[in-house]
Amino acid sequence: MKKICLALLLFVFTLGELSGCASGRPPASGDKTSQKTLTIGDTTFNPENAEPDVNPHNDYAGWACIRYGVGETLVHYSDTMEVEPWLAKEWENVDEKTWKITLQDGVRFHSGRTMDAEAVKQCLEHLIEVHDRAPNDLMIDTMEANGQTLLITTKEPRPALLNYLGDPYGCIIDVDAGFDDGIVAGTGPYIALECESGDHLKLTKNTDYWNGTPQIDSLIIRTITDGDTLSAALQAGEIDAAYGMAYESYPLFENEDYVFSKIATSRAFFCWMNYESPVVSDPAVRKAIAMGIDKQSFVDTLLDGNGYPGKGAFPDSFSFGGDQVETEEYDPQGAMQVLEEAGWTDEDGDGIREKEGQTLSLKWLTYPSRQELPLLAEAAAATLKEIGMDVDIQVSADHNTIVEDPKAWDVYASAQVNAPTGDPEYFFSVCCLDSSSKNKGHFHSDKLETLEKKMAVEFNPAKRSDLAVQMQQAILDDHGYVFCSFLQMSQIAKANVKGYTAHASDYYQVTADLDIE
Amino acid sequence: MKKLILQRLLQLIPILIGITFLSFGMMRLAGSDAVTERYSATGAVVSQEVIDAAREELGLDKPFLTQYGLWLFGLLRGDMGTSYISGRDVFDTFVSKLPATLLLCAGSILLTVAISISLGIFAATHQNSVSDSLLQFLSFIGNSMPNFFVALLLMQLFSIKLRLLPVLSEGLSLRGAVLPLLTLSISMSSKYLRQVRAAVLEELNKDYVTGARARGVSDAIILRKNVLKASMLTILTLLALSIGSLLGGTAIIESIFMWDGVGKLAVDAITMRDYPLIQAYVVWMAVIYVIVNLITDLLYPMLDPRLRFEEVE
Repeated sequence: MKKICLALLLFVFTLGELSGCASGRPPASGDKTSQKTLTIGDTTFNPENAEPDVNPHNDYAGWACIRYGVGETLVHYSDTMEVEPWLAKEWENVDEKTWKITLQDGVRFHSGRTMDAEAVKQCLEHLIEVHDRAPNDLMIDTMEANGQTLLITTKEPRPALLNYLGDPYGCIIDVDAGFDDGIVAGTGPYIALECESGDHLKLTKNTDYWNGTPQIDSLIIRTITDGDTLSAALQAGEIDAAYGMAYESYPLFENEDYVFSKIATSRAFFCWMNYESPVVSDPAVRKAIAMGIDKQSFVDTLLDGNGYPGKGAFPDSFSFGGDQVETEEYDPQGAMQVLEEAGWTDEDGDGIREKEGQTLSLKWLTYPSRQELPLLAEAAAATLKEIGMDVDIQVSADHNTIVEDPKAWDVYASAQVNAPTGDPEYFFSVCCLDSSSKNKGHFHSDKLETLEKKMAVEFNPAKRSDLAVQMQQAILDDHGYVFCSFLQMSQIAKANVKGYTAHASDYYQVTADLDIE
Repeated sequence: MKKLILQRLLQLIPILIGITFLSFGMMRLAGSDAVTERYSATGAVVSQEVIDAAREELGLDKPFLTQYGLWLFGLLRGDMGTSYISGRDVFDTFVSKLPATLLLCAGSILLTVAISISLGIFAATHQNSVSDSLLQFLSFIGNSMPNFFVALLLMQLFSIKLRLLPVLSEGLSLRGAVLPLLTLSISMSSKYLRQVRAAVLEELNKDYVTGARARGVSDAIILRKNVLKASMLTILTLLALSIGSLLGGTAIIESIFMWDGVGKLAVDAITMRDYPLIQAYVVWMAVIYVIVNLITDLLYPMLDPRLRFEEVE
């Protein structure tokens, strides 16, 4: 027994020695030296998330470029996701296809080159040449550079061009500076020094920054994919701030030592109805589903308050989102009445309704990669059962294949960012129109098709906003989609970290305002 | 011996073809592919044209057998392909991560052997004592806890409470390796401690031990020169068999401690349906299994003269 105790003591001392004699953990904050160092733990910076580096022209790496303060776009999204000047000082429509963009003066790339129209033209040409999504989004035909003025001509009227130019792939970089190791020369407050996606990104402050004074001398983005590890690293002080913390870890940081920054994003958790389904094609069933899902309870209980109940396709923070539209409230009694009137009754007393030999049973398809979706399926199954609907949940990673078969599902619940560029047209054109690639439930509305034709040529933001409200109402009135909730994004930092603020776009994580005391 | 080595290496060929074909097929059965997983991970919605173009670029639009055939043909030419996700050469990526995993495996095996053999012998020679009961109880606890749970407990104690060791490994550092090594070793040692104890006890109860004692040979000498040697055969077999579970275990541990090895690479590759990387991991596992079993077979005659005698006969 004595020998065991001795061995254990020796082991503990060895551990102590190891920790004492090692080179020392990297300082998590700059409080002990004059150099300010800040480390952010982030679950998203890895090749699996399509961010193999910080080159905005590579896949979705623009997100890393803009998030970590390396690159900036011509326009910036406001808190309400409206475009506002950034690298572009002002703009005007010369005609339906021509945009005159005037650039900021005195902006330099990290390479030292001055940002002028020629550099921006060169950058956008390279983007269109190599990127998968940008050419179809931007539809740029020609560009003319003259000093700080860039004239862009599109192939067809493109009212949302500026919104698309604010997408992270639109970060303006010095193409001549190259792309060695995935590092680019942007115009942001921080310069990328070392990039190993999936592990870390090292940055230093841009002392020549045009729009403020960056405060952090050495910024490290540490990829931590495991939620428990991220939580432990923040508790242990190895990181100063965290992005992507799992909901269940939040209580550990709800105290005076940490600060939360929360905001609603346009990442929506919503249901698509299958119009090919013999059950869901009945308007009464769709209406009853919309009335039978308790969105508030789902958000309060299963998401522990980390979300916002949805009404339409866009959250409250958008000028065309939230209460701008009317939809069904949770009303189980009303839903039962709707079903009764449509002839759906429970003849055999098993709690599930039938009509003309057809049982009111729904095949609910969803997938596991978003933790909220299986929870939504369970919540919906529970409340829909109360109104006499049987829900057969199928959670499959292969949902993209299954959804192609209209006989395999009745309701499909998914999560997606509905307005990544702040413009509403994107959602409808991708999901709800006859021509939409994602319209697997074959939703059709003559009214929506007509409104979309107007939207496609409408340049006035206020009128586009109004059209967006009408288009949402069209799909909600037919109960073709049920928007259950929006993601509330939270960033957590130690109390001494300042300026680590969540933004509705999910893009601007690191700014010149970021500081540590 | 040469014949045995050659025979095993030849056996590796059908094993590799069979196992890679199975894994290739199983990944297809699991559904989805690298393109859909990538766009799903970003939460963005792209047009079908973009998805189709990406699939065509990666060759995912080709029939299953064609895809497998192309991969196998590439492997025979020494080309393991390019990662669908990172776009990097699979062999280079794999080799760059291998030292971290080998270090973790070798370190945890050494630590496991050191802990389980010493404590196993101690428990056997102190059978039914308080310390024996305590060790058995601890090994029972250690056996019952999954690796990831042990990892979280160690993090809580050594990183958050005592602040002695880091949660995140910083490259291949000794400090960063301590917690992953401990996590793997605690689980394995708990299992082997009981096995070693049982093997040593079995030997201690044999007639030759009684005879040696009757002739006045000390317990220490019997233990060191006879019992331990005889027990090694059992221990070696167990260790060889555990290589698979150890490599599987490192995958989880590498992900938790952000230890940049092939296990973490494999977990990420499976999540993203990165077939070339998954196949590389499968090939690596198959080769390791065959080599470890071969080494074990070669070691048997060295540890047990009876096997050498049978070989001569």
